[in-house]
Amino acid sequence: MGESTRTPELDFDVYATQTMTANNAAWDEVRTTCPVAWTPHNGGHWVISGYEEVAEAFRDWEVFSSARTDPARSSITISGSRFPLLVPEELDPPAWHGYRRVLAAMLSPQAAERLRPRARYWARTCIDGMIEAGRGELVSELIFPVPAAVTLEWLGFPESDWTTFSHAFHDAAAFPHDTPEYHAAAAATVDVMRRVTEEVEARWSDDRGDGLSAIVHAEVEGERITQEMAERMTFMTIGGGVDTTSALTSAALLHLHQHPEDRARLLAEPDLWDPATEEFLRVYPPARTHARTIAHDTEFAGCPMKAGDRVLLSEISSGRDPDAFPDADRFVIDRFPNRHLAFGAGIHRCPGSHLARITFHEVMHEVLERIPDYRIVDAEVVEYPNWSMIGGWAKLPAEFTPGPRLGD
Amino acid sequence: MRVHVDVEKCTGHARCWSVAPEVYELDDLGYNVTAVKDVPPGLEDLARKGALACPEQAITVEE
Ligand code: HEM
Ligand code: SF4
Repeated sequence: MGESTRTPELDFDVYATQTMTANNAAWDEVRTTCPVAWTPHNGGHWVISGYEEVAEAFRDWEVFSSARTDPARSSITISGSRFPLLVPEELDPPAWHGYRRVLAAMLSPQAAERLRPRARYWARTCIDGMIEAGRGELVSELIFPVPAAVTLEWLGFPESDWTTFSHAFHDAAAFPHDTPEYHAAAAATVDVMRRVTEEVEARWSDDRGDGLSAIVHAEVEGERITQEMAERMTFMTIGGGVDTTSALTSAALLHLHQHPEDRARLLAEPDLWDPATEEFLRVYPPARTHARTIAHDTEFAGCPMKAGDRVLLSEISSGRDPDAFPDADRFVIDRFPNRHLAFGAGIHRCPGSHLARITFHEVMHEVLERIPDYRIVDAEVVEYPNWSMIGGWAKLPAEFTPGPRLGD
Repeated sequence: MRVHVDVEKCTGHARCWSVAPEVYELDDLGYNVTAVKDVPPGLEDLARKGALACPEQAITVEE
């Protein structure tokens, strides 16, 4: 099976670009050249970048499998990160179904709504920490801690774990695999798993009414969940919950600094929050790509795909496709319809999307209400070092008119 | 006017319900359980908007 059977071939390395602008431009070039193509980089894989093609591949789980083929390496990142099995993301039906049901119930729109007061509380507390000084580093003091606090408090982890956990997931996603930061994060992941095991064991015969207890006492297809699967599902929920919502919030706060006209409209017309949130997701999707493995030989968009071939689906490129989004280059605050794929599509569609939108909204709302004139110090902004999988901002130092703390 | 929700295609984005809670109903996992429904007079625009919002294009509107 020579490489020549896989055509058309492009010279595309998703890790080669270091900034959002460069990575977006690379995707635009790939998509305009060919919405489905093969690249020899990163072990050789298909690249799917057109909106319709990405949506179709996400939906066709029978061909585009999420299941692990190498027990040590994740199937849903193109480089095969060394994570424990992600449950339910790295399961195909029928195994996927029972685990998905458990999380879908825990994170349904109605259940997520019950966490809104906690998101508001943590957003208020974090702003209290900066507001008297009139300055603060928005990522480490607000954007990062709030989703971590909401998710980890809901699950039932003690506050002493929150910083370690969120840093481990952030650094594992943000740094390329050959950096010391990535290796440190991989080591920290082992500590996270040890803490997960301890807390799962502590609840095995003790239902404490928290999210962890709901996972530990879940029934999957009529049988009690095993300890190993409960640990994996907890790990996945933390991973899904802590670094994605923060990436979106960082992008939105920087955007409103760069686009005062959008900030003014959101302040004047709160009804715009719903379409604006979807537009932030389309233009700045935190999860930029996901990988799949071809389950059996097939032809997709005229390309011959072979069982075992790896495939990269691009959420970011799908959102920039002018065939699906008129004026795709522009941020249109009231864009409708806006069927972006930032939360994926098909069966693995993000079950945390409802909680993510709520947490995002509470943080944004608190900022615009209490420090509406915040200004970001452009010279000190730091981007994530790599935009291949997760994209956002690592540092957003800001200044604003000081105000009073609100307290509890 | 009638709306048809293809429950096989629905994957629970709940966008239809966010935009038009008066028209679309979710089960307790957040999936649309509306199947077929006559849209009450006055809610036609909302029903159309909810259908357009669905990322899976699972909703068809029969005018
Ligand atoms: C803005 C924030 C978020 C974004 C952009 C996002 C994005 C995504 C995407 C694109 C997928 C599909 C992955 C695939 O098809 O392989 C996904 C799956 C998933 N997400 Fe999220 N996510 C976010 C927040 C969350 C939160 C807050 C949680 C949990 C508290 C979460 C938990 C999960 C889980 C468990 C899955 C796997 C679902 C399955 O396989 O059935 N996510 N997410
Ligand atoms: S928006 Fe579509 S996929 Fe989502 S709940 Fe409604 S019908 Fe289902």
